[in-house]
Amino acid sequence: MSTDIVSKSTPKKEHSGQSRLSAFGSAFVAGGFTMYPVLLILVIVGAIVAPRFATAANLLNILDQVSVLGLTTIGLTFVVLIGRLDLSLEGIVGFAPMLAAVTLVPVAAGGLGLELPSWAGLFVALGTAGLIGLFNGFMVVRVGLNPFISTLGLLVLLRGGVLIVSNGRSIYSPGKALTYLGSESWFGIPVSVIVFIVVAAMVGLVFHYHRYGRALYAIGGNEDAARAAGINVDRVIWSAFVFAALLAGLAGVLMTGRLDSAVTTQGQGIIFSAFAAAVIGGVSLGGGRGTIVGVISGVLLIGVINNLLTLAQVPSFYVQASTGAVIIAAAVLTTIASRRSSGVRTRT
Amino acid sequence: MDKARPIVEMRDIAKTFGSTRALRGVNFTVMRGEVHALLGRNGAGKSTLVSTLSGYVSADTGSIRIGEVEVEAVGQHYAPSIRKLIAHVQQTPQLFNLLTVAENLFVENPLVRRGFGVVSHKLMLECATDLLSEWNMDIQPRSLAGELGAGTRQLLEIMKALSRGVPVMILDEPTAALSNAEKRILFEHVRALKAKGVSFVYISHHLDEVFEIADTVTILRDGKVVKEREPVERLDVETIADLMMGEKTVRSTRQDFVADEAPVLLQAKGIRLDSFSEKDIDFEVRAGEIVALAGPVGGGKEALAMVLAGQQRPEKGEVVSPRGKLPTIGLVPTDRHASGYVGILGVRENVAIGGLDVLSGKLGFISKGKEARHVGRLAQQTNVIASSLEQAVSQLSGGNQQKVVFARALCRGPEVIVALSPTRGVDVGAKEQLYSLLRDLASKGLGVVVVSDEEDEIDQLANRVVIVFEGHVVDELVGGYTIKDLILRMEGVV
Repeated sequence: MSTDIVSKSTPKKEHSGQSRLSAFGSAFVAGGFTMYPVLLILVIVGAIVAPRFATAANLLNILDQVSVLGLTTIGLTFVVLIGRLDLSLEGIVGFAPMLAAVTLVPVAAGGLGLELPSWAGLFVALGTAGLIGLFNGFMVVRVGLNPFISTLGLLVLLRGGVLIVSNGRSIYSPGKALTYLGSESWFGIPVSVIVFIVVAAMVGLVFHYHRYGRALYAIGGNEDAARAAGINVDRVIWSAFVFAALLAGLAGVLMTGRLDSAVTTQGQGIIFSAFAAAVIGGVSLGGGRGTIVGVISGVLLIGVINNLLTLAQVPSFYVQASTGAVIIAAAVLTTIASRRSSGVRTRT
Repeated sequence: MDKARPIVEMRDIAKTFGSTRALRGVNFTVMRGEVHALLGRNGAGKSTLVSTLSGYVSADTGSIRIGEVEVEAVGQHYAPSIRKLIAHVQQTPQLFNLLTVAENLFVENPLVRRGFGVVSHKLMLECATDLLSEWNMDIQPRSLAGELGAGTRQLLEIMKALSRGVPVMILDEPTAALSNAEKRILFEHVRALKAKGVSFVYISHHLDEVFEIADTVTILRDGKVVKEREPVERLDVETIADLMMGEKTVRSTRQDFVADEAPVLLQAKGIRLDSFSEKDIDFEVRAGEIVALAGPVGGGKEALAMVLAGQQRPEKGEVVSPRGKLPTIGLVPTDRHASGYVGILGVRENVAIGGLDVLSGKLGFISKGKEARHVGRLAQQTNVIASSLEQAVSQLSGGNQQKVVFARALCRGPEVIVALSPTRGVDVGAKEQLYSLLRDLASKGLGVVVVSDEEDEIDQLANRVVIVFEGHVVDELVGGYTIKDLILRMEGVV
């Protein structure tokens, strides 16, 4: 029985010389490192083009700016890994902190008159986000709606909801608990950056080492096989929507903190950047593929490009168009790299 | 036109799927106005042969002539050139569920078109109503095909083919889903068309039907013709079974042991697979035995296995265990490409998803060392051959993919293994390895349930065979049965 043994030393002789390089290439791409050389080049170019770019203050500033997009993208990655999507994350970024804000401030400042204690703000925001996630999961798992249409509907609904609860006005200085994370610094590093790094590290570990992460990849790769293997597919899908919503809620809180106000237009357009960052980072929209390391590279790339274009004093009309062009180019690069390295065609 | 000249002539047809040689130089002829039955066991090549005839699958080599059209097969598609001459009713109805009965009947049919390819709905409804009343079918032409029962759908598919007015018809297992009354209607039409000179190629697992409707019989075995154009009067059930079976090749054999005192692991109580079944299914799986579920395709054996594995809810009844708690069950699903493995993940991750709970600690984090050891052991037990445990499963050969699926099913240390088509599309060597794996598991006290279409496989493995026909358990073979017993029961004769 034991004539054939799985071992790392048995592969055929012929591809041992060239295969070490190609194995490294595959691991490099599969690990999500594809865009890091590009990022490095961009940073070097940036340092040459705009002297102010390569300063510690500016780099921290970039990190601070991308933390909101970063958290949203990490949230989006949960649902994209299982082959779904969630457009309502953009709505949550705006709605969750706004609802929290209006429960805190007095009527005169545009509140609902509840005037909850300041510490409750964070809980209201995250609780709201979590409930929205539960609702999304319910619609997809129980009702069986296509997540595109159910979350699109919710996105529009939440956009309107922001206007309803706020009466169309932004809420200024909604309270310390809500703004702390987005406005304070520890040892010269913005708390929002620390939150982003901690969340990224935790989610990265879960994706890679936790049974929950394994279940996400299995479901995205082949849902029926995951079911046949005994994974509770429905529960995992449901929870992925909840985690995504919670992270979007947290992103919204950071944004409110940075502006020291809950703005009615908060988060508008962020879902498109989040999708772009995910795809650039090597996350397959078909599900089953993607790493947090890659997602971070996508988020950083978008942040760096925006920052560079601004610093290089490109006219603002051109900034948007060039960002789009760069997104397409980067997505092409990632897709080709992942196809070349694995031989598996992915639907990005 | 020359009456004696065959309407269909196939010469030296060969077809290879991957490493399987499905057809090895088959000659096949059909005369005008005859019903020609094509017999053979599962996997003998019947469906492949008729598919090459209709062009649904292109033959690799050989020549085909239907009427005046000749095709030289070189592996290219040739279906369009013979479309007007032949109709092929497949084993499973290929209907558009979201279209109406009328639309399904006349899809791509020039009969209902007016100028510029515009389809006239009025004309289509009229034609459909006529056709339905001609077949004594009491359904509305406006109802959706997806709402109909299996028998009606099958009849619709046959009607659609017959109404095209082609000179040659292929009926592949046409009666599998039909009731007796529906069968009678079908046979009447076949006879009527035969009298008009239409020829039929008829495949069936019910030998009694063959004796009733067929004129000529050709028998295939392992992709070759073993009996060509034998008049049906000169054959009997025994001879046919012998011809289909062929001489025995030396293969590993089952261990005929059935321990009555072995504990019952799984018990099916009053199971009904669908609302049409009229009898409860009751049976048990004991520790240390290999039970095979056998029967025709679509007869319910797969559904029954999925119910046992807890993957599908029965219409009625339940699966229980005498010890109260249901045992851990490992499932090898029927189609490994669809639901067996995750192609983009490696061997290690594929095996591990079968037992994420046993491989992870309190907080749910997977212990890498434990995982590597456990998966390594399972991969050795199942003989997986891969360049490393990280190799993507989609890059492995069929046999090794199937071994990975087995390893995954064993990952949680199950007490019962439910394996559907355990060796489909697997080469002979890997097949024997999987057989000895299953025997080994049974001897260690696991209960093994195997669902298979291959008599050889069942004969080599199963201590007990449960025959499932039309959603019911109709027979059971225990202990010292012969492969002939098995074949006759699977053909529905005994």
